[in-house]
Amino acid sequence: MARAVTTKRKTLTTALAWAIGLLIFFPILWTILTSFKTEAQAIANPPIFLNFDWTLENYAIVQERSDYMRFLWNSVILAGGSTLLGIIIAVPAAWSMAFVPSKRTKDILLWMLSTKMLPAVGVLYPIYLLFIELGLLDSRAGLVIVLMLINLPIIVWMLYTYFREIPGEILEAARMDGATLKEELLYILTPMAIPGIASTVLLNFILAWNEAFWTLNLTAVDAAPLTAFIASYSSPEGLFFAKLSAASTMAIAPILILGWFSQKQLVRGLTFGAVK
Amino acid sequence: MSSAEHAPAGPDKRPIRLFRNLWSKIAAIPMILVSVGIFVGGTIWTIVYSFTDSGLLPRLNWVGLEQYERLWSTRRWLVSIENLAVFGIASLILTFALGFLLAALLDRKIRFEDTFRTILLYPFALSFIVTGLVWQWILNPEFGVQSIVRGLGFESFTFDPLYDSSKVMIGLLIAGLWQGTGLIMVILLAGLRGIDEDIWKASRVDGIPAWKTYVVIIIPMLKPVFITALVLVTSGIVKLYDLVVAMTSGGPGISSEVPAKFVYDTLFTRQNLGQGFAASTMMLVTVAIILIPWALLQFRGKKND
Repeated sequence: MARAVTTKRKTLTTALAWAIGLLIFFPILWTILTSFKTEAQAIANPPIFLNFDWTLENYAIVQERSDYMRFLWNSVILAGGSTLLGIIIAVPAAWSMAFVPSKRTKDILLWMLSTKMLPAVGVLYPIYLLFIELGLLDSRAGLVIVLMLINLPIIVWMLYTYFREIPGEILEAARMDGATLKEELLYILTPMAIPGIASTVLLNFILAWNEAFWTLNLTAVDAAPLTAFIASYSSPEGLFFAKLSAASTMAIAPILILGWFSQKQLVRGLTFGAVK
Repeated sequence: MSSAEHAPAGPDKRPIRLFRNLWSKIAAIPMILVSVGIFVGGTIWTIVYSFTDSGLLPRLNWVGLEQYERLWSTRRWLVSIENLAVFGIASLILTFALGFLLAALLDRKIRFEDTFRTILLYPFALSFIVTGLVWQWILNPEFGVQSIVRGLGFESFTFDPLYDSSKVMIGLLIAGLWQGTGLIMVILLAGLRGIDEDIWKASRVDGIPAWKTYVVIIIPMLKPVFITALVLVTSGIVKLYDLVVAMTSGGPGISSEVPAKFVYDTLFTRQNLGQGFAASTMMLVTVAIILIPWALLQFRGKKND
């Protein structure tokens, strides 16, 4: 492969890359465009790309039929709450694993990650019973805990890999200078760990936001997040594509916007730290 | 990943180290307890009750392996297993083949690269529910791809996988690939970028063809990256549930049922707990069979470092 990049070649690659990018993005783009069409225009053949009468009608109808803000608020609380709780629990654990590793650290990590591979249905019913017992069914608090638990292994693993990149010599140097444990944590570790923590937070937020298996099964009305909102539009509205698109757009918009403004963290987070 | 003994180990630091170790253990304990309690406890509970005749409510009436015998003679379960196997193998092969091909093709600096990567990752950032709905529509024979191609004059063009029980898994596969390929490609691309320029130069000097350089040198070098990607893809496959619920609800008929959905329906809709527990135990066993050799391999690799 000729790595000596000629300008022509570079332009060609860029064009190809963007063609692929556009192809992948197209279904999302099409959904967003369709949400502004009337139902008739949405199913027009040949399809109308841009020259239709832009309308906000679908959004008004969707909002009227189901209270979007309530679902959105639930999603924010569930994703935000479980992420915050997870980080609070995971940071000390990952910190100790990265800086004071014992013989078992690798085993524990691997074992924890393997729980992520287990099918969730295996623990669905016990958790369901526990929820009934504790009165947590259809409550935000219960779901925050469950979502935190299922993503915890990933949070710990990611934080661990980020923390390990922090050179231990810096800590030794700080200790030489007589830094206390508190100072060490506050002035040295935290600033160096922030990029890693930010990516982890974003990843976990997105995972929790999209989690459908648990949210669909453990909520009914009160705690139902956007996944439930969008699922409720799936079957009975099967043929109302413009409204379905409006609902989909409303459900994905927060993630698309959040991702757009934090591209570096998004790439780092979604690839689980594989892309620096 | 090489060993990471960052901890200072001077003899004069002994007491401090002990103290730090103690704190670090205290820090790690809540998390480990929680994981043990929920995952192991819940899983054991499920396995135990799979040997009972629990119906609507969990009861400890032992029936031995009866639930398992019944499970394996249920057609819907067999279809589910087969579907998951087909989907799993096909999506593993295709995601990696496509992802690697695209990554190798684009192994150069691209303008606006961050934006490009973000766009490729967008599908992965969406809920399976949304993916399912969007693709259900694209693959709808009356409004989606089929009708558009027919509109262009190809009257006999047929592509309606979601309404054809022999092709419905292809429809699910397309949506799954759309969601996952970008992720794998971005990860592999990052791996390829990390490879030293000199390796390419050397192989060119020696006159080794590019494809051979990839197979013999580059891919083995990317092993850690491939493992990360593999873990991500596999855990996605095991979870296959939301996509099916949103796209086909298991239909037409039972042709796109998957194990997770079988378990869920058996537990909550058909209220046959014992049967559902037996099915989820089978899923656990299957995952364990795949996971244990991999874990052992990992451990042995680490010990050799």
